[in-house]
Amino acid sequence: MGSLSSLKGKLVLLKGTLEKLVEIIFAIIVGFVIAGLMMYMGGFDPIKAYAAMFETSLSLTDPYYIAMTLSFATPVMLTALTFAIGVRAGLFNIGAEGQMYMGALGAVIVASWTLPGPLYLPLAFIVGSLLAAAWGLIAGLLKVLRGVNEVVSTIMLNWIAFWIVEYARVYVYPNPIDASKTISMPPPGRLPLLIRGTELSVSFIIAIITVFIVYYLLWHMVLGYEIRATGLNPTAARYGGINPKKTMLWAFIIGGIAAGLAGVSEITGRPPSYAITTGLSNLFGYGFDGIAVSLIGANHPLGIIPAAIFIGALSAGSRGMQTTAGVPLEMVKAVQGIIVWALAMPGLIRLIRRRMIRRRGVEL
Amino acid sequence: MPRNDTIVYMKDIVKVYPDGTVALRGVDFEVKKGEIHGLLGENGAGKTTLMKILSGLLRPTSGEIYIRGRKVHFKSASEALKHGIGMVHQHLALVPAFTAYENIILGLPGKVIDRKKIEELMETTGLKIPLDAKVEDLPFGVRQRIEILKMLYRNVDILILDEPTTNLTPIETKELFETLRNLKKQGKTIIFITHKLREVLEVTDRVTVLRRGRVVGVVETSKATPEMLAKMMVGREVVFRIEKKPARPGEPVLVVKDLWVRSDLGGWAVKGVSFAVYSGEIFGIAGVEGNGQSELVEAITGLRRVEKGQVILMGRDVTNKPPSELYRMGLSHIPEDRQKLGLVLDMTVAENSVLGIHRLKKFIGKLLNMKWKNINVHAKKIIERFEIVAPGVRAPARSLSGGNQQKLVVGRELSKTPVVIVAAQPTRGLDVAATEYIRKILIKMRDEGKAVLLVSADLDEVLQLSDRVAIMYEGEFMGIAKPEELTEEQIGLMMGGYHMDQLKNTSSNRKVLEAS
Amino acid sequence: MTEELVMILDILRGTSYAMTPLILAAVGEIVAERAGIVNIGLEGIMLLSGFMAVVFAEMAMNPWIGVLAGIGMGALIGLIHGYITAYLKGDHIISGLGINLFALGTVAFGIEAVWGVRGYYTPPLEAKVPIIPGIEISPLFIVMILITIGTYYLLYKTSIGLKIRAVGENPEAADVVGVNVELTQLLSAVYGAALAGLAGAFLSIDWLAAITKELPAGRGFIALALVNFANWNPILALGGGALFGFFWTLAEWIKNMAAIKAIIPVTLMNTIPYIATIAVVAGLIGRSRPPAHVGRPYKRE
Repeated sequence: MGSLSSLKGKLVLLKGTLEKLVEIIFAIIVGFVIAGLMMYMGGFDPIKAYAAMFETSLSLTDPYYIAMTLSFATPVMLTALTFAIGVRAGLFNIGAEGQMYMGALGAVIVASWTLPGPLYLPLAFIVGSLLAAAWGLIAGLLKVLRGVNEVVSTIMLNWIAFWIVEYARVYVYPNPIDASKTISMPPPGRLPLLIRGTELSVSFIIAIITVFIVYYLLWHMVLGYEIRATGLNPTAARYGGINPKKTMLWAFIIGGIAAGLAGVSEITGRPPSYAITTGLSNLFGYGFDGIAVSLIGANHPLGIIPAAIFIGALSAGSRGMQTTAGVPLEMVKAVQGIIVWALAMPGLIRLIRRRMIRRRGVEL
Repeated sequence: MPRNDTIVYMKDIVKVYPDGTVALRGVDFEVKKGEIHGLLGENGAGKTTLMKILSGLLRPTSGEIYIRGRKVHFKSASEALKHGIGMVHQHLALVPAFTAYENIILGLPGKVIDRKKIEELMETTGLKIPLDAKVEDLPFGVRQRIEILKMLYRNVDILILDEPTTNLTPIETKELFETLRNLKKQGKTIIFITHKLREVLEVTDRVTVLRRGRVVGVVETSKATPEMLAKMMVGREVVFRIEKKPARPGEPVLVVKDLWVRSDLGGWAVKGVSFAVYSGEIFGIAGVEGNGQSELVEAITGLRRVEKGQVILMGRDVTNKPPSELYRMGLSHIPEDRQKLGLVLDMTVAENSVLGIHRLKKFIGKLLNMKWKNINVHAKKIIERFEIVAPGVRAPARSLSGGNQQKLVVGRELSKTPVVIVAAQPTRGLDVAATEYIRKILIKMRDEGKAVLLVSADLDEVLQLSDRVAIMYEGEFMGIAKPEELTEEQIGLMMGGYHMDQLKNTSSNRKVLEAS
Repeated sequence: MTEELVMILDILRGTSYAMTPLILAAVGEIVAERAGIVNIGLEGIMLLSGFMAVVFAEMAMNPWIGVLAGIGMGALIGLIHGYITAYLKGDHIISGLGINLFALGTVAFGIEAVWGVRGYYTPPLEAKVPIIPGIEISPLFIVMILITIGTYYLLYKTSIGLKIRAVGENPEAADVVGVNVELTQLLSAVYGAALAGLAGAFLSIDWLAAITKELPAGRGFIALALVNFANWNPILALGGGALFGFFWTLAEWIKNMAAIKAIIPVTLMNTIPYIATIAVVAGLIGRSRPPAHVGRPYKRE
């Protein structure tokens, strides 16, 4: 009896997860189809493009491509956590972009110091993530103390961070040899590569570990419990003796740390520059990609890993798509956008299913 | 059977809500053209549901509706409005940020709008309102007039008023009654939902009394007495009697002194209430809902600001202390809305089983990690002890039925080993078995020496369980007494706004009524 | 003397340009939010419409065709957003995020697909909206003023405006008296997005006369803040937008002064509009009041 009822419980859970999965896969298909139409209208061959994209991202013929996919999955996995933690606390923290810039800046600051070799890495991670956490905390304080909507404040903070970091790149930490970037992380402060000749470094493992830490935090620690309760039902959380404001601040701080790690890992773990480049071009967009990753991963840490690899594959494959089919590599961002948009339509599948049933009913 | 002068005829109306609650169990309701018809009953009697069906807001599960002899099926409120049926809700359907004029003309095509006609209407009905003032700046009484005027401007001739005097001052009430009589003279039909006996007697022509989704009787007001109506409204059909030993009250555990609390709208919801709950007793608060009970409970449990007065828990002043601190001192709170307050529906049964006590040493480890093993054991214990039907501790609380959700809340709150239990509407919406179960547990808690504060709109429940009972009306206690010392009529009268002193000082209640 | 006059006129002229896209987008969003629909995709709409405006203006060698294309693109996005939020009861914020992400990728792709250049394209002079001779300001500035006043009139002086505002304040009350809540919301969302589209066209074929993948540079979100600042009133948005535009222009002007440049680098001065936006919104608390039912789906029974 007991085991039967617990089995039933598991089935309920499984059904919910399956439904969500179908919804996500459907959104992904919609994304590819519409983007394919756009390519077709732009005079490209979508099938050739998608084939090339797959060949150069997930095809097992050459480990180089898989490595590139994973290396692109790394930063967006971390910035996705920022958004996901926010959503779990009932917030729309879209500030991962700026927090990631601050994290990278932190790492560059450490790179500019003269230190014993082994100290570079730990300090880069500490300074970078603290700077990013502080940046996230600003939005949190604005929200809690002044009621400023986090969507507006985090976007503004993204731009402020952009210009501050750009300023620091030009005026404070310019690279004496190469004007297009900042001081590079000295070799002792670089994360080892997992596969030589690729851009895949230990930072990927760090990202995976971070995902599991966040998972543990959200589902196995008191703070995570309180964050989730606040996000799902703030009134009940208050009844449960939880202070929703405090919880929200923590969500901003932890989200900031995750985004900061993304920035730091780009400086310590991505060849060849190990620095911030002109116009933040080697960082730009990871924060926003993270939003897509989080939404595709159902805002769940464990969903974020495959979602990040998916988006990483799109990014890696976009290069092959460009060389083979001539499609501009930004196309993949359009795919992402359409997927997110499709995900915003609740019950879209249910709607389609109902219509199909109705049509079939008429035929019968 | 409907006659020629019947304007509304509702036949065998049944309403079952999606969650399974049966609100109406086959109601026949008939209103004659040009009368003021009272619809009387306690909370949950089904008055509002019946009228929402008539005004198109709800669809009946079964039954038929005839308006002016013609059968109708309303799909929306606007459709009912086209048939001349308009309902003035307790929370008025006005846009607060709009002026009175804007509210009246909302949704009408430009060519129909005629300011002069509105002004004429104000003249003929006596409903004087400042047309260009914003609704939010106006007192409730005026807002209500705007709503009525809005209906009349749309040619409504069957006007439904849901507890219209709840938020009115005595003078405003008098004015409203004046208006209603006036409208009746002009041939309008009025249905007046209320639980206040005095008002029914004063303004209606006929009364239909509802109890638990059934019609108890229809009477001519001129032939009715307050005692008779009170008995019909409250009347016992006792499903079960609860065995309970005499109480052995000990020390005062929860003391409330001259408490003043505001409502969400800013007015006073609780006006200087004082009482004490002793260990080993159940102290009940009865009364029609919306008379300040919810705000009182929230203030005691740390969820709403106390403006004035004190809450003392076991000798310590805990006024305006956060809930977490109160819980640590031994307060258990079974909230009135389990879905909004008591549970996080999308969290699991296990997670919900520790809400509010999740920071206890038993449940968290050194790393501030949740000890799921202990929590699961805790949840399973509650499931076993309270016979909760759940697909498992990891199923979301949402997947439980209403009764089992409530048992989960009750089980969690009692697992705290409390000193004081505040239980608000603990059996609302539950089936008979679950209801009986929870009531027995409250008695058991009392016998174990806990102090229980019970707030319930279910009169049977309060009277059967409580050792002492207070009747609350408009933020004040009308009296505190032992239930067995009160007659049904007396309780009905107090719920309707009579103070206990008024009742006791005279030998005959009838005299008081005549005097007032 | 004349030099100073020229300087002042310069700043005022700059203000007239800087304020136009902000106010257009904000006024449109005010209508949408008055009806209860939040669209945080203004930034994306400006970007997409800016792109479409260049494409069509160049194709027809007529800027006004471009302006219409920008408006049309915005309206189309608004239609989809409105359908998702009003009819499917979807999440307003996620749909808005979708718009922004979609725009970011599509425009970067489009620039390369259409012109074969990366990230930046300048349309030919013939595709650019001409300046009104004599006063040397954009005709779209005048259009913006007219639209703002017209929208104010629509919202506050017509029965349609009454319906729009009622739906955002208390959809139930509107529903009871027979207002079609969903349709009102959909049309308001379309109107709002169309104006954001016009703002995008203004950026790409008028003021900046270029299309880049960061064309709006946060203006869509500043417009959101402006909606708040203006307390959901188009006329106040006009004033607020002028203020935002003035300080933006002033900052642009100051940061390029040699004396200032030596002390504070341009890059740092670029943060000013964003800091100012935050400061303004943070200072507003309690003074502005959003429509009571904004951003929430309306469901019956």
